[in-house]
Amino acid sequence: MAAAMARVDDQPTLAAAAADLTQAAARRLDLVFRSGAALLSILLLLICWELFARSGRVTMFMLPPFSVVAEQIKTDALSGDLWRNLGVTLYRALAGFAIAACIGIVLGVSMSRNRVVRWFCDPIISVGFPMPKIAFLPVIILWLGVYDVSKICVVVFDAIFPVVTATLAGIAAVDKELVWSARNMGASERQLTWQIMLPAAAPQILTGLQVALPIALIVEIIAEMVMGGYGLGGAMMSASRFANSPGVFAGIVEIAVVGFLLIRAMAVLRRRLLSWHQETAE
Amino acid sequence: MDDAAQIIIDKVNHTYRPPRGRPVLALADVSLEVRPREFLALLGPSGCGKSTLLYLLGGFLPTEAGRILVEGKPVAAPGPDRGIVFQHFALFPWKTVRGNVLYGLERQRMPRSEREQRAQAFIDLVGLKGFEDSYPSQLSGGMRQRTAIARTLAFDPNILLMDEPFGALDAQTRSLMQTELLGIWQRTPKTVVFVTHDVQEAVYLADRVAVMSARPGRIKAIVDTKFKFGARDPGVFRSKEFVEKVDELWDLVRVEALKAQEEKVA
Repeated sequence: MAAAMARVDDQPTLAAAAADLTQAAARRLDLVFRSGAALLSILLLLICWELFARSGRVTMFMLPPFSVVAEQIKTDALSGDLWRNLGVTLYRALAGFAIAACIGIVLGVSMSRNRVVRWFCDPIISVGFPMPKIAFLPVIILWLGVYDVSKICVVVFDAIFPVVTATLAGIAAVDKELVWSARNMGASERQLTWQIMLPAAAPQILTGLQVALPIALIVEIIAEMVMGGYGLGGAMMSASRFANSPGVFAGIVEIAVVGFLLIRAMAVLRRRLLSWHQETAE
Repeated sequence: MDDAAQIIIDKVNHTYRPPRGRPVLALADVSLEVRPREFLALLGPSGCGKSTLLYLLGGFLPTEAGRILVEGKPVAAPGPDRGIVFQHFALFPWKTVRGNVLYGLERQRMPRSEREQRAQAFIDLVGLKGFEDSYPSQLSGGMRQRTAIARTLAFDPNILLMDEPFGALDAQTRSLMQTELLGIWQRTPKTVVFVTHDVQEAVYLADRVAVMSARPGRIKAIVDTKFKFGARDPGVFRSKEFVEKVDELWDLVRVEALKAQEEKVA
């Protein structure tokens, strides 16, 4: 009797469980599709590349098939060349980015909070931002040589502008009532700057950093291509000098992957830092 | 009576200067006195300068003409003796409920264990127990305003300045919060200056209501609204006395609201 009752009772729960299961499966499928869909177009592009390169319309030198390029990347990875070049490029791009981020934020904050600093720096920022900083490369080579310091300097020089302007815009947009509240509770000017304005402007500052990061990588690669030496850009240039076509294309693929991963890492960092923010709240 | 006044506002004028356009006289010769532990409502049509008066009192805006004395001293800057609560809460969104309430206590250099205790006490007082670690973005409007009230009460100001604190809440939440504010006020008696454009709210909450005219804001009338009812008595809204007060104040405000509207159209 009791068993029969239990069975009768069980049926709806079982149905519900089955429904739950299919729903969970649908969600998972949806997730797979969505993350997969992002890569699908890339995959399609690679297949087109492979087919076109093997179609006989272009020579191996003009466009080596993707499989050959992949083979080249594998060889570089096994010999250790890839990792050394990657390490050098990442070190310089990220060091430049970090320096640009620190100086940029401090400069942006100082300009927002101090009229003299603003009066002095504002015109320089306005003139400097749209200027192609990469055009300074010959001067920087002249002053600082062709090694790490000069490359990091160019990266800083270029990546700092979006950080400064984002910090300025972010602080300008801080809610007046937030500032008044903090003042009301007895915050000093210094505390107001670092404890209230900076976190309140964090979403916009992070947007600035997200703009600055790919700039840092791009500028680093260009600097390497111009100055030579180790690094992904440098390796591409030397491959080009030796007419090593797969080597050149390998460089392009490597740079694309590195850039993609960097941007994804930055997006994750943003979500972490802004866990309190409306945009990440579900 | 005059000696007993805690806040003295004496012939204050204030001109609002927008970055573009011509300056506007927001307050004209405003004089007002507030007694200790009094609940005073500033009632007026939108744009009459009632919030401006509150900001002057808080020291957020400079007093240009006239004087404002709080406990005998002229107001020069914001200070924790005058706690403010804003319509849109002005919570620090990157801090949790607890973090928000703690901020003022940290600024006062209160020892850690004491401020933790005090913060918890005020979170409990406003009924947010269990939400200490929530961020403002995870809370409803009513809960955000409770947090803001707890944050301001926690640093123990003598005077509470409230700028349409329930204006951004839905009607039901607003009504509950009004009753709750009265309860809190009775438990921790403070001088309250409460800005509102809601006549019922003013009559229900305040001991006295100062009615302001349309721009430029002047004090048009001061009406006594102290009742012999318990604060939580819902019957108060239906009592003859209450309804008559609301009507009386409505008549005073309506004229000004119409003037304000005409000016906006013109």
